[in-house]
Amino acid sequence: MLNVLMLGVGQCGNRILDAINREAFGGGGAANLAKYYLRPKFPSRVETLAINTAINDLKELRFTTAKDRLHVPNLHGVGANRNVGKQAFMDNRDMIMGEIEKRGDFDIAFVITSTSGGTGSSFTPLLINELKRQYRDITVVTVAILPAREEGSIYLQNAAFCMRELMEVDAEGIILADNQNMKRFGGDIASAYNKINDMIAKRLLFLIESLDSEMLSVTDLGDFKTVMNGGLRIGTMGFYQADSKNLSISDAIENSLKPANLLYPANVADDSARAMIIIQGSREHLDVDEITKEVERLTASAGHVFKGIVIKKGNPKVLSVFTLASAPELESIYAQAARGMQDEKEKRCRARKQLDDAFAHIEDLEEIY
Amino acid sequence: MRRLICLPCLVCLLFSILLVQAAHAKEDTDDSDEVAFKDFNLNIGDRIDLGDYQMELIEIQSVRDGLVVMRTSKVGGPLDEQRALLLDSPNNFDGGAENGGITITVADIFDEQSAKVRIEYQKSLGTARKHASERPAAALDKPELSVQKSFERNQMSVGDEVKVTLTVKNTGTGQALGIKAEDAPPLPEFSYVAGYPPKIKETLDSGQSDSAVYVMSAVKDGSIRVPAIIVSYTDAKKNAKSNSSEPFNILISPKSKADLAVKLAGLAPIALDGESMLNISISNSGTASATRIEADGTVMPSEGLQVTGLEKSFFEIMPGEEANYSVRLLGQKPGNYTIRLIVNYEGGDGSVIREGTAVVVVLGREYKYQYLLLIVPIAIVIAWMYRRYREYKY
Ligand SMILES: Nc1nc2c(ncn2[C@@H]2O[C@H](COP(=O)(O)OP(=O)(O)OP(=O)(O)O)[C@@H](O)[C@H]2O)c(=O)[nH]1
Ligand SMILES: [Mg+2]
Repeated sequence: MLNVLMLGVGQCGNRILDAINREAFGGGGAANLAKYYLRPKFPSRVETLAINTAINDLKELRFTTAKDRLHVPNLHGVGANRNVGKQAFMDNRDMIMGEIEKRGDFDIAFVITSTSGGTGSSFTPLLINELKRQYRDITVVTVAILPAREEGSIYLQNAAFCMRELMEVDAEGIILADNQNMKRFGGDIASAYNKINDMIAKRLLFLIESLDSEMLSVTDLGDFKTVMNGGLRIGTMGFYQADSKNLSISDAIENSLKPANLLYPANVADDSARAMIIIQGSREHLDVDEITKEVERLTASAGHVFKGIVIKKGNPKVLSVFTLASAPELESIYAQAARGMQDEKEKRCRARKQLDDAFAHIEDLEEIY
Repeated sequence: MRRLICLPCLVCLLFSILLVQAAHAKEDTDDSDEVAFKDFNLNIGDRIDLGDYQMELIEIQSVRDGLVVMRTSKVGGPLDEQRALLLDSPNNFDGGAENGGITITVADIFDEQSAKVRIEYQKSLGTARKHASERPAAALDKPELSVQKSFERNQMSVGDEVKVTLTVKNTGTGQALGIKAEDAPPLPEFSYVAGYPPKIKETLDSGQSDSAVYVMSAVKDGSIRVPAIIVSYTDAKKNAKSNSSEPFNILISPKSKADLAVKLAGLAPIALDGESMLNISISNSGTASATRIEADGTVMPSEGLQVTGLEKSFFEIMPGEEANYSVRLLGQKPGNYTIRLIVNYEGGDGSVIREGTAVVVVLGREYKYQYLLLIVPIAIVIAWMYRRYREYKY
């Protein structure tokens, strides 16, 4: 049995963590009531902890127990300022780590955060370092949420610097999710966020369940680590659940890799370094030959593909986890961020100059009364 | 002190002497050839002497009719006559006063013993003088009946028989004759059983008494004034007399009856297969004894409650007393049972039926604290949910 630690940092991280807890109660509307009589049902021993500097963000949560919400006192929040965030983490490091330590030993930790906010993006790299120091053999995977491109230059800038720091730390890898996807869901922002959060929650729980179950064809934590270590050590997840109209397992696998079903828009055929395909479903739908053929086809483009098959009643479900050898989309983010920063800088200079020109008018003058 | 009493006595004496002298003076006014008259108050046996004439009051024959018998005689003469004289009519002897004889008139009759007699005569005959009789006044012949009506008791109840005694007694000196006691009309509150109308002897000598008894039975309640009874009679001289008893009240209360009340003591519910005793009391709140009391009862529904000893009989229950007994109950089936006790008795006015009922509850199997089965889980659920709520409340 795996010991899993899930940390949600910052508002975005907190909410995804809450979605995970809600999923553990069965998800949907039933979870609202189920929390009064059920315990969250995780496939392994899962400990969750929501960390934030804003107490209001913590209060908003509904499926995370009060003791699993950790408020890091910082007078006025961090206001999307990563430097203030880093200072706040360092000031409260012992308290935060103490709180995690209380929850025992762990094999794997998922740290969920937005890359663009203040708190989550600044806490996470430091937190990962601390985790790696404290738990010798722990596997740490970051789940990082990219901002939608039009969210503003500070968010993009934060994302750019945060991603760089996340690449530098000694973690096993990053799973990316992109809020740019939100646009696909339409509707209001809140429900679009909830949809993304639910998607992430479902996939993470599916992943944990797969790593911790008796598989027909085994994938384990080691395999997962190998996949995450591939390429840029940046990856993402795709998911597809076949409906009764088309139960073909090869179609399901292909579908799980289509950009629409990925958390981060990537071209699997061209960009993937390593992959892991986890298939779940009733035995009669799982034709091993067909699966093998499909996986082999994938291997041709994606280097190495691990496959796991879990026999469980129901239509076939496929989770694909893969790392990228190249990330053109990321690059465009950096470019945009740099442009933004450049613009910001120029704007500042211009403003400064304008102001200086304005001041020049009164340069040699004294106040007269 | 003694002188004070003596003084009026002396005055009285002087006064009477004066009166006597005045009377003499009147007498003295008559001439010798003239007719004189003189009034005498005579008792029977008294005699008036006038020369050779002697006039004696023999008898007052009838006060009512005004008849007086006098005997007139002349010493050494042929006149010796006993004659009844009518009141206020003059009677001449030897030709009457006009002709040298005498005339006697009865002026007044006082009573059976005395009368006022006027003598008229020629003064030459001398002076009329009264010669009082030496023998005492003859024994009176005067019957006097007392009458009394009495009830054996003056309080009774409807249906009671009562003896009425009528007593007539001659307390006078003479024989009473033609006695009639009129005890009528009959009282409507009674029916007359025997001896009515009462009969009393027609004649009663002095000192004798007679009584009559009759029996009647009260038929209506109320307070009744028993009217006076009048006894009428005559004395030997046919003088009619009457006397009456004193009227009085008697009270007839309503008929005395026995009145039984049947009471079955209230009973706590009996557990299933449990036993209990039911106390029954039959009390007599009437005024007469109840006799031949027989109690029996029924149980509805008849199955499920076993009752033993319900049937019982008593010989008598006196007024104000009660008889008690108890029956044994055994609950065999849960439910509500009605025990109806019927008591039959003689209450003094035929046989009477009285009833009493009691409801006995036989409980079902008792599951104590059954309600906890509901409350405890709810409380647990609420407590649990509250705990959960607290757990998720930040
Ligand atoms: N997918 C998803 N993204 C979210 C959600 N909430 C916020 N975000 C994204 O997160 C970014 C903002 O970061 P937050 O997590 O809100 O910021 P923070 O870490 O709390 O830091 P401060 O609020 O600046 O202290 C934005 O790009 C949002 O689009 C959410 O529920 N789901
Ligand atoms: Mg926030």
